[in-house]
Amino acid sequence: MKTPAPAKQPASVSRNEARTAASFDALYRDHVDQMYRFATRLCGEPEAAKDLVQETFLNAYRGYQTFRGDAQVSTWLYAIAARACSRMRRKRKGAPDRELSLEEFIPTSEGELRLQIPVDGLSPEEALQNKELRQALDRAIAKLPKKYRMVLALRDMEGLSAKEVGSIVGLNERAVKSRLHRARLFVRRELSAQGIATSEPSHNGHPFMQGGH
Amino acid sequence: MAKRTTTRSVQRKPARPHRHGKGRCVAILQKLSAYIDDELPGTLCEELRKHLGACPNCEEFVASLRQTVALCQHQPAPALSQAERARMRNDILRAARPR
Repeated sequence: MKTPAPAKQPASVSRNEARTAASFDALYRDHVDQMYRFATRLCGEPEAAKDLVQETFLNAYRGYQTFRGDAQVSTWLYAIAARACSRMRRKRKGAPDRELSLEEFIPTSEGELRLQIPVDGLSPEEALQNKELRQALDRAIAKLPKKYRMVLALRDMEGLSAKEVGSIVGLNERAVKSRLHRARLFVRRELSAQGIATSEPSHNGHPFMQGGH
Repeated sequence: MAKRTTTRSVQRKPARPHRHGKGRCVAILQKLSAYIDDELPGTLCEELRKHLGACPNCEEFVASLRQTVALCQHQPAPALSQAERARMRNDILRAARPR
């Protein structure tokens, strides 16, 4: 009877390791830019984004054997990044996410109806040549409570479907859309009311409700 | 409710003050992402479109929401340098295989 030779074990392990390393290199090469972009959108700061990318690929490396290919590789990586991001966040013990209600997005002054930096007639690319607008957008996204930022980043910025976003963050499609909607309204308000909200007293003259009450 | 029957004059001001209560505001507001994503059922979409045509404030609000989404979709992101990419890869592999 043949007994399994203990000497064989290291050889097969190292073959596996080599295979994993080769697959990892391909995975890393093909997706590192995408994950860095996503991480930057979640974290804002380049250094925090790099930490998140490293954490993501480290976890991907460790879990590569368990990836069955029933999801797209990028969806799998997004999910790992999303989990790593909330773990890193918990460690930093930030305040819990604020819930956004629809009522808070009802404009209270004329100036809030449109964007403060006009983009009419411009393509988004042209509009974003404006540094001031780019910075205002970055600031608005950074101000979003994190769970809303996650959904906005995955859906509007990374272009995933609501169903894919749901599978990544553990929500049904309806909940994803509701969260996305609030995130968009939040960013819109930030881009419209910045500077205006502080200089104008609110609740005098509701543009949606003139004469309504 | 005032209906804008003509667009001949270029003025943006509503012809008559627009009236809807806070409850109606929220009801409209709730549907706007579905509206701009083309996900509203036909009748609801038609109803909202009609309302927007009659309500310059709402129309302006929707336009700015649409612009916001387009800006998010095109927000530029910084890229990693070749050297950073390589350094991070080495760090990951070192952490994955502690010796």
